[in-house]
Amino acid sequence: MIHVQQLSKRFGRHQAVDGISFDVSEGEIVGFLGPNGAGKTTTLRMLTGYLPPTSGNASINGFDVFKQSVKARRSIGYMPEDVPLYREMTVKEYLTFRAKLKGVKGRAVRSQVNQTISECGLSDRRRKPIATLSKGYRQRVGLADALVHRPELLILDEPTNGLDPNQIIAIRKLIQELAKKHTILLSTHILSEVEMICSKVVIIDQGKIKACDTPSNLVQGMRHAGRIQFEVKADPIQVRKKLSALTEIKKVLHGGKQAGWEQFEIIVDSGTETRERLSNLAAQERWPVKTLYRHEGRLEDVFVELTRRD
Amino acid sequence: MREFIILYRKELKGYFTSPFGWVVLAFASVMSGLSLSTAMKGFTDNAIADTLVYAAFHTPHFWFSFLFLFPLITMKLFSEEERLGTIETLFTAPVTTGQVVLSKYAAAVTFYILLWVPSLFQFLAFDWITSIPAPYDQGSLIGSYSIIFLMGLYFTAIGCLASSLTSSQIIAGIVTIGILLLHYFLGYVTFIWGNDFAAAGVFYQISSQLHLDEFSRGVISSPPFVYYLSMTAFVLFITHHHVDHRRWKK
Repeated sequence: MIHVQQLSKRFGRHQAVDGISFDVSEGEIVGFLGPNGAGKTTTLRMLTGYLPPTSGNASINGFDVFKQSVKARRSIGYMPEDVPLYREMTVKEYLTFRAKLKGVKGRAVRSQVNQTISECGLSDRRRKPIATLSKGYRQRVGLADALVHRPELLILDEPTNGLDPNQIIAIRKLIQELAKKHTILLSTHILSEVEMICSKVVIIDQGKIKACDTPSNLVQGMRHAGRIQFEVKADPIQVRKKLSALTEIKKVLHGGKQAGWEQFEIIVDSGTETRERLSNLAAQERWPVKTLYRHEGRLEDVFVELTRRD
Repeated sequence: MREFIILYRKELKGYFTSPFGWVVLAFASVMSGLSLSTAMKGFTDNAIADTLVYAAFHTPHFWFSFLFLFPLITMKLFSEEERLGTIETLFTAPVTTGQVVLSKYAAAVTFYILLWVPSLFQFLAFDWITSIPAPYDQGSLIGSYSIIFLMGLYFTAIGCLASSLTSSQIIAGIVTIGILLLHYFLGYVTFIWGNDFAAAGVFYQISSQLHLDEFSRGVISSPPFVYYLSMTAFVLFITHHHVDHRRWKK
């Protein structure tokens, strides 16, 4: 569905997007992650034909986004970041205008607009001017605009940006609903959102792709996935010596003493099980143990690890 | 073509769904009414050899109100889209830059033509109300409105261009009126400096005052047609390129 190859965008001296390549196949929901200013919006704008790439190319549905822009745009429903709308129009007027502009014809206009209005939970606001709607409702109008011509591909730029928790849940549910019928490329910096919705994640930072995989693979492949918390009553120097002697252990960090308990953080190779050996060791040395806990890796850890600047 | 019509209708509707368009329409009809009554006052005070139409288009405030119409009707066209960010939703829909520029321009021209309907009605009403045969002929009426139309084509295009240059409506309006005033005063160059210099002919050709003077006497000639139509095409071409420039590979 989307094919991106060595896509770059330079604004003067600033390299916003630096040679990224990725593919999105039909039916996938891809989360496009990155810290602020990573180049997410710029990439999406290039995909939707709003900005030309400096170099490289991208195609949607087989149409080049630069050379066959209008054809490529026909199969996209795009919701820009801050959801620009014509404020003086009513919801229904706006969606009707957009549906027609995006090629919906004849009787289909009315039925598709009505269907989209009810799908997006806008039924009770259909006659209201957009200027009078709250942020959450405007966000829904933006989503409805992206949907109204039944595109094969939805590109959503931070769809839950600036909403309250209830609205976020509502929009997420809506996106999950849509995922059954559409391919979705979604940019965000909210990780729980990606974990919940997406089947694939592309992490981008400073214009470069840092990772591109399923959320679970990313978490498994992460260094910090093997982080064990270990609290004992013993001489810390002894503990460190004994622990370091074990195999498959990368690093032993001493976190100090708290109420008589020595705190350790042990980083082990990913995909290994060390807890049994640790408890055996403690029993052998007669160390009283308070905590022996392996942290579950989360996408958040992956994200922080890949995009941290220090 | 289909996209053009959809965009055109949306733009044109935009003039009437806000009070703004109605205020401009009211302003235009009051000013043309004022011109007509000033002309009629002139007729009662002195013997005048010109027609009523000629006199109405030569009142002191005619150019003042006329030139100010263009920033009013064009300043919103592109700058509003740029400011609201809707230019992004507009250009990510399957439309070409040409369709967008032409639809906006055509809507502005249509609205401009509508602004002159009250004035035409006022001339016709003279006859109906006073039951005196109207002191003007077909020629001056047709001539006046054709030059008004021609100037409108060109000046609206200038407004379009100015609006595409900035996201501020105010700046777009100021640029438009600035260019129009400059163009207007260039038409006076030959009045001030005489016509014994090489480029005098150029200033004659571009003088809107002289065009209006001839046409409102009923003297319809082709050079102004060529001048205004070609300048319109040229300015729209630049506007198209400027709007499209965001799509250029740098």
